[in-house]
Amino acid sequence: MEVGRLPISASQRGKLISAGYTTLSSLSSISASDLARDLKILDSEALEILKVASLNNRLDRPNGGHGIVNGAQTAWEMLHEEQFFPRITTSCADLDEILGGGINCKEVTEIGGVPGIGKTQLGIQLAVNVQIPVEFGGLGGKAVYIDTEGSFMVERAMQIAEACVLDMSHYNDLLRKEDRACQVKLQPSDILENIFYFRICNYTEQMALMNYLDKFISEHKDVKIVIVDSVTFHFRQDFEDLGLRTRLLGGMALKLMNLAKAHSLAVVIFNQVTTKYTEGSYQLALALGDSWSHSCTNRVILYWNGDERFAYIDKSPSLRSASAPFAVTSKGIRNSPSNYKRTKMM
Amino acid sequence: MAPLRSLEQEYPILDPLFQTFCALHGIFSVEDFLLHDLYVLAAFAEQEPDSERLKQGITQVLSIIDGQHQPWLNGMELLADALHNKHVLSTGCDGIDLLLGGGLSAGQLTELVGPSSSGKTQVCLQAVSSVAKKHIGNVVYLDTSNSFSPQRVAHFVGLVSNISFDQARHHFLQNVMNNIVCHSVFDIFTMFAVLHQLEISLRMQLQSGDHRVRLLIIDSISSLITPILGGKGSQGHALMVSAGSLLKKLAHDHNLAVLVTNHTVGGEGGVPKPALGETWKSIPHVRLLLSRDRGNKKCTVSIIKHSSMDSGKAASFDL
Repeated sequence: MEVGRLPISASQRGKLISAGYTTLSSLSSISASDLARDLKILDSEALEILKVASLNNRLDRPNGGHGIVNGAQTAWEMLHEEQFFPRITTSCADLDEILGGGINCKEVTEIGGVPGIGKTQLGIQLAVNVQIPVEFGGLGGKAVYIDTEGSFMVERAMQIAEACVLDMSHYNDLLRKEDRACQVKLQPSDILENIFYFRICNYTEQMALMNYLDKFISEHKDVKIVIVDSVTFHFRQDFEDLGLRTRLLGGMALKLMNLAKAHSLAVVIFNQVTTKYTEGSYQLALALGDSWSHSCTNRVILYWNGDERFAYIDKSPSLRSASAPFAVTSKGIRNSPSNYKRTKMM
Repeated sequence: MAPLRSLEQEYPILDPLFQTFCALHGIFSVEDFLLHDLYVLAAFAEQEPDSERLKQGITQVLSIIDGQHQPWLNGMELLADALHNKHVLSTGCDGIDLLLGGGLSAGQLTELVGPSSSGKTQVCLQAVSSVAKKHIGNVVYLDTSNSFSPQRVAHFVGLVSNISFDQARHHFLQNVMNNIVCHSVFDIFTMFAVLHQLEISLRMQLQSGDHRVRLLIIDSISSLITPILGGKGSQGHALMVSAGSLLKKLAHDHNLAVLVTNHTVGGEGGVPKPALGETWKSIPHVRLLLSRDRGNKKCTVSIIKHSSMDSGKAASFDL
């Protein structure tokens, strides 16, 4: 493998190539002090370079995982693994139905809509619902809520948490005594305790937090959902260099994907809307541009249809395009109370 | 290539005496060796006391250099290779197969470009199920956005299977799905490491000859390259070109078909154009543009570039 494909800095690469080390094999039999002398760098730097090179060399013998590539899985194994990752309900039956049961773990779901449609409400609802205990069909996990706009309201979260606990005990009462799961031990204050809240004030903090999240979640292993509300806010105004913006967003999307896959959690990001001139008319489209729209696994668009709120699956590898109504009530997100509830298959 | 010192282990004739002799003439690495006038060097070697050994050393280095390039092939050998080894793999979508004259060609890098939600991942998943089922080959799928959906693949595989008993169908599905290997990559260096491993295991497999890898899919390569492209340095650009040449080399040497997906960005006049810029345009052998009409769910695929067909041909199909 060429030295140019190693993850080292450009100046180190330049020095290596000008000294004649262009392949990994040439680095395999040299000591750090010789390398440091040749390249005129510090011993510690040379040691770093050799460590990176030997890491890549050690992958020479594919073993474990599947015979072809280390760390890969066969499709059969993945098919069966899906059963072990329950979905996070949104408390609205129609919405859950078009999502195939709820928000999926290990995937990044992007939800966008006009202001006031209920994105933050949905975010708070999901942060509460992820904590529903396993006996009641939930995940029993914690939530990380990253707030960039300052729209998270603790009183509202308390309201939704109380409604959730009330619903769970009602559900418990409806079951017969033998089927009853253990009493609802969860209190609204416990629910609030399990939401880790981060407030972000500019895009630098946002990038820094993305880098830090991996370490945070390794320490708090029961975090099962990461909500970013919203990812657009700090990238929309006053960004002079659009190329830099695309690069930063691309890198952030990959980090979130990595997080979702490595820790088996769900990542939900909220986006804002903008107008786009397509096919001869101005239409509403999600912000942050074309490159960003490819970085999520699923995309859901929330929109108004008359007086009702609707959610539409815009992009998904395994779900059909469909839309469903939902409502925002004092108890949180619930089914729409309209006379004829329909799930339009498009 | 390496400094002469590191070659000493494998080729003991390049001993310190030879290295000192070369150092006297300012030759420290193999590159310096190539740049130097060899007749002059041999003439100097004549005058040294150990001239035979030195001349053997010179010939040894020359033979190492010779071994680095691919063997020369003439037209007949290339034709034989194309007929016997470079098969055509069906993609599972009739429209695309018809357009490409059978499907994806082994030995070629095919790129699928399209705006968001136009069906690129669906086409990839269909190709995966088709190759795993019909051609009994292994498929390696590198996924950057966690969109590899095993249920969808199982659905496609089950679609055209005519086995009626559930047990047999289960067994058949298991065999087919076990041929599909999926790996998540989230940055370009991991992708290089994975491709390097793949290359080594393919070389080992050539000798054993069991189920060979037939198809390599990277969905999507643009999300790996966009974060490093642009900016002050040109390292991103170099990595992109390096990735392209590595994929083409893998395709040619091991008779794989390689399929990558790319996204579109806004061009002049609002017409979307493929991302990754001008340099990337010349790297894939075949480029296909996919677009989906929201109203009637029809997908249109058209050829932007092909090594042996007109560009501009189009076909439409349902997904």
